[in-house]
Amino acid sequence: MMKNVKSFIVAIMAIIMFIGFSFGGFIAKASAASTVSGKITIAGSTALLPLTQQAAKEFKKENPKVTVSVSGSSSIAGPQSVVKGAATIGACDWDATKPVQGFSAFSGLVAHKIAVIPFATIVHKSNPVQNLTTKQLQDIYAGTITNWKQVGGKDAQIVVVNRKHGSGTRVNFQAKALKNANFMSKGDNYKEVGKSGEMLAAVESNPNAIGYTDLAYVKGNVKAVSYNGVAATTQNVVNGKYPVWSYGYLLTKGQPKGADAEFIKFIQSSKFQNGSLKNLKFVPVSQMK
Amino acid sequence: MKLEGNIKSSSYLPAHGFKIKARTKNVRNYLFFLFCLLSALMLGVVLFCIVLFIGKTGLLVFKDVSVMEFFFSTKWEPYDGKYGAAIFILGTLSLTALTMCFAVPLSLALAVFIVEVAPNWVKKILRPMLDLLVGIPSIIYGYLGLTLLIPLLRNITGSIMGDGLLAASLVLTVMVLPTITRISDDAITAVPKDLCEAAYALGSTRFQAVFRVILPAARPGILTATVLGMARAIGETMAVVMVIGNTAQIPGDLLTPTAVLTSNIVMQIIDVQFDSTWNYALYMMAFLLLIISTLMILIIRRIRGKGE
Repeated sequence: MMKNVKSFIVAIMAIIMFIGFSFGGFIAKASAASTVSGKITIAGSTALLPLTQQAAKEFKKENPKVTVSVSGSSSIAGPQSVVKGAATIGACDWDATKPVQGFSAFSGLVAHKIAVIPFATIVHKSNPVQNLTTKQLQDIYAGTITNWKQVGGKDAQIVVVNRKHGSGTRVNFQAKALKNANFMSKGDNYKEVGKSGEMLAAVESNPNAIGYTDLAYVKGNVKAVSYNGVAATTQNVVNGKYPVWSYGYLLTKGQPKGADAEFIKFIQSSKFQNGSLKNLKFVPVSQMK
Repeated sequence: MKLEGNIKSSSYLPAHGFKIKARTKNVRNYLFFLFCLLSALMLGVVLFCIVLFIGKTGLLVFKDVSVMEFFFSTKWEPYDGKYGAAIFILGTLSLTALTMCFAVPLSLALAVFIVEVAPNWVKKILRPMLDLLVGIPSIIYGYLGLTLLIPLLRNITGSIMGDGLLAASLVLTVMVLPTITRISDDAITAVPKDLCEAAYALGSTRFQAVFRVILPAARPGILTATVLGMARAIGETMAVVMVIGNTAQIPGDLLTPTAVLTSNIVMQIIDVQFDSTWNYALYMMAFLLLIISTLMILIIRRIRGKGE
């Protein structure tokens, strides 16, 4: 028994040392080029999370002295964490320096436009429904259409999944896809989830569910449904046919300094905008007129 | 002679350096006493601060919301200024009650099985297994509930979602089962063998011995186990939030999404501003949970006091 424990500890130490040395060597190599140092903490939108995570990964490679921690809960937490001082950068799916429906403006913050976020209505892959109109979506999310056969699907009750209050995806989906119609808030076929990832999990695991996320999350067992006959693709956002999108913002307290400023510059650089950002199914800001 | 020599060389007698030794000993004793006292004081201060901070922040909600509305209204629409927490209070109470309905009989049966029925080698497997189960993080239970239990419930009941009180209470049952079982197990083991033997000598069956003699004798311990399990069920957050559905509504049945105090706090606390009524309302809910768990501990002490 003791022997087992000992060899186990030795094995763990070996693994830690292996990882430590390989990364240590890697950092030493890269650090020659960069002089930026500091700590960046990003909080807020989960719609932007795939983007900020990817950016943090690449930014750290170029600037190994910077530590970046990225987390996501919902858009409203972005500006709030920055105001509270819990984060240096807040990610939000709307310009939080201006009021939007249900949320007042945050003063003292500066907004930096970093991406165009296309949003999509999502259903389970096995669902035969390909297209939903504005009216149909409004009625589904108001709870007046309750069966998939009413919109051309199978005879099964619709399970409506919504994001919680404070989600930027919810704000934009309500404003742009539902044209400001009201959401239902109760019902035995209705539930609210916290993050974009939870939304994906909820729709993925229920063949009769409907939900919405940004395009970056459309994968696995879900598919994006067309909106008024227009497919939810980045091309259709660029050519103006698909209206359900918004700008994504990073917010800082006053003008950003040091590592924060460098990080925002990095995300806005054409290299990142036309590279990783595009691959993640966001749209570069420069492509919008 | 030899003995005398021994005594002389030992430190019982005043010898060279004894005074210094005694002094350092005294200082060490005193320091240790101080350390113990400080530890105890720190615990008290921390607890006091928690109660003070949560309570003070929570009670601020009553500046904007009436006590009646907070405790008895079922309208939780914070963005419209409606702060009725009755749904969550009822949710927590009914979830706990339901969990106890499942968990207590099962745990008792398991404890009786371990002590009275199982052969030694089975005991040796079951007890460590239960100890291990107590230590599993709740998020794992929640995840299993989300990925295995909910689809299963959907298939069995034909319900469209599966989230709700039933799913949550089943997950909680699995979580509190080991706690209740292990403590009841100890209580039953501690029942004097004489009682049991006397019962058998009087011709009782094993069933009668268990229900008429052993369980009544172990009652205080079993009650403590139940209350401890209940306290764990009430405070559990992560496992519940994953399977409860998180919708502020009074559920018509056990398979309708709803919300409880803990799940509602954890869902919303990051999204509210520091100095908003919404924030205060969430703190008030946390304070309620604190009060409930304090009451439970008082109850446990009461039971233990009587049992001894």
